[in-house]
Amino acid sequence: MFRKVLVANRGEIAVRVVRALRELGISSVAAYSDADRGSLPVRLADEAAYVGASPSSESYLRMDRILDAAKRHGAEAIHPGYGFLSENADFAEACAAAGIVFIGPPAEAIRKLGSKTAARQLAIAAGAPVVPGTDRALSGWEEARAAAKSLGYPVLLKASAGGGGKGVRRVDGESQLQSALRDAASEAGRAFGNSEVYLEKLVDEPRHIEIQILGDQHGHLIHLGERECSIQRRHQKVIEECPSPLMSSHPDLRERMGQAAVKVARAAGYANAGTVEFLIDRDANFYFLEVNTRLQVEHPVTELVTGLDLVEWQLKIAAGERLTLKQSDVTWRGSAIECRIYAEDPDHDFMPAPGTIVHLSEPSGPGVRLDSGIFEGWDVPLEYDPLLAKLAAWAPTRDAAIRRLDRALSEYVLTGVRNNIAFFREVLADAEFREGRLSTSFLDRFFKRRKKAVDDPEAEAAAALVLALTAACTHAQRVEQSRWRTSGLEDVLR
Amino acid sequence: MTRQVTVNSRSGRIEINGSRLRYVREDGVVIESEYSLEGASVLLNGRSYRVNKGAGKEMWVNGRRFSIEVFDPRDLRPGQGATVNHGRQEIAASMPGKVIRVLVSPGELVEEGQGLVVVEAMKMQNEMKSPKAGRVAEIRARPDATVGAGEILVVVE
Repeated sequence: MFRKVLVANRGEIAVRVVRALRELGISSVAAYSDADRGSLPVRLADEAAYVGASPSSESYLRMDRILDAAKRHGAEAIHPGYGFLSENADFAEACAAAGIVFIGPPAEAIRKLGSKTAARQLAIAAGAPVVPGTDRALSGWEEARAAAKSLGYPVLLKASAGGGGKGVRRVDGESQLQSALRDAASEAGRAFGNSEVYLEKLVDEPRHIEIQILGDQHGHLIHLGERECSIQRRHQKVIEECPSPLMSSHPDLRERMGQAAVKVARAAGYANAGTVEFLIDRDANFYFLEVNTRLQVEHPVTELVTGLDLVEWQLKIAAGERLTLKQSDVTWRGSAIECRIYAEDPDHDFMPAPGTIVHLSEPSGPGVRLDSGIFEGWDVPLEYDPLLAKLAAWAPTRDAAIRRLDRALSEYVLTGVRNNIAFFREVLADAEFREGRLSTSFLDRFFKRRKKAVDDPEAEAAAALVLALTAACTHAQRVEQSRWRTSGLEDVLR
Repeated sequence: MTRQVTVNSRSGRIEINGSRLRYVREDGVVIESEYSLEGASVLLNGRSYRVNKGAGKEMWVNGRRFSIEVFDPRDLRPGQGATVNHGRQEIAASMPGKVIRVLVSPGELVEEGQGLVVVEAMKMQNEMKSPKAGRVAEIRARPDATVGAGEILVVVE
């Protein structure tokens, strides 16, 4: 096993990795930028290494500086967390060239699964279901018309080189196809310098369910079940849970999806922890979407339900140890739900809200897990993602987990930066959420039926009381201080 | 002690007398109660409230955020309060961030709702729009400059 590991990330995930390292008796080195000098992971780690200025392009994304920091501190391995360099095949190769272990999959596996179209080809070859569509770029209008007709409307036009929603058009009928084809191609051309587009059947109001996989470097690969991540805003997950509520009505779905995920991972020569994402349609058919070749933000729900420590396994596997778990050793107990606490304003289109944390009281108690990267007085930097913490609750049933998570949210006091804590309590109280009727359009529809907050004049009175008495108190102090000043006491106290 | 109050821009009055409190809102809602205050804990009519200060004028009560101000009525002299703004409108950054682009130039005529400046924070770009039709009188935002919340970026008249 390693003696020292560099954590090339920040915030709550850096804290998570530092904790795992300490539990294993491994020294930790936290990489930090200017903005993160005073951060929680720097406070908690054994050592800290400066990697550059605040913008991530000058620090956490700089391979040379991260590698240099690892060498300077004598770290034998680098844990990349998620985001930043975690899915960068060049970085994984650069680590190997420098004689440092990259804690993640082999560079070739990252490369094979990195491109959406290449991953789709790989999934098809491995026999995993993909969203029906044309497997190559369309040659023109006639081919598009024939393909759309055989797929059945609605269909989606997508840029072959795509990403970020650019060059994507929904087409509901043939009359829209010609203009959509022209628009998508020209948008794709401008965005990616490649105007090729292809067609996919539109999966309407899908669920997003993903499978956690874990494999060692000796060819042993298993799955750890699913996480349902359908509650999203701006294509980013905000609530995740295990098991998916869909599993109770489809008891064999987990195993079928799990096997499909393992097949894709094996075809890519995968090792370490990874996640295979799927879309699920209304009839519970699942379609391969993509592979995230790293630890996921939402890994705690899997840990709570399976009782396994994913980061510990990542470290052991990277050190060459064998994955001693068989597929049949993995069991799923109870239900876990996580919500992502963001510095953002749910009442204003989830606008990010950096600032200073004025007051913080964190929840605890039975069945509550908090992965946090903040503390009272911390300035939430404006350079990075607004994720502050992840709050998860475990209970024997989904209903009990919802009630427990709501209880924990009610204890959570975080002031100074706008955040989504109160918003989550509204979502957890929603009847459709409680019934497990989830889809990626859940939040859009939730906002339409969302009730205005109830008037609470007594709470206003409580706030006014504290403010009025504090102001009176500060006034009295000022009077007191001026007395010292006149008596010369001020100099003595200095 | 009596204080004028505005909560989420609605005005009211709070009277504190020994251990009794009376809160009267402009819409006629009245709260009367014995109170007890200990640190961040307030007890009103037997109910428990946690009250914490937030940024600026924000107070958080049991997870809800109120924008609230308390004034001593003796401090409110005539002539204070709303300043006349002669049709000039200052457009300020709604969040701290970095100026990515300035979309207008001085003297340019702008429509209501037209984008003026793009500010980025936490990987999200936000376009600051003109609140009215008019002429760009002044541009204080500089590309790549870091700005604080409330900092004036553009003046439209």
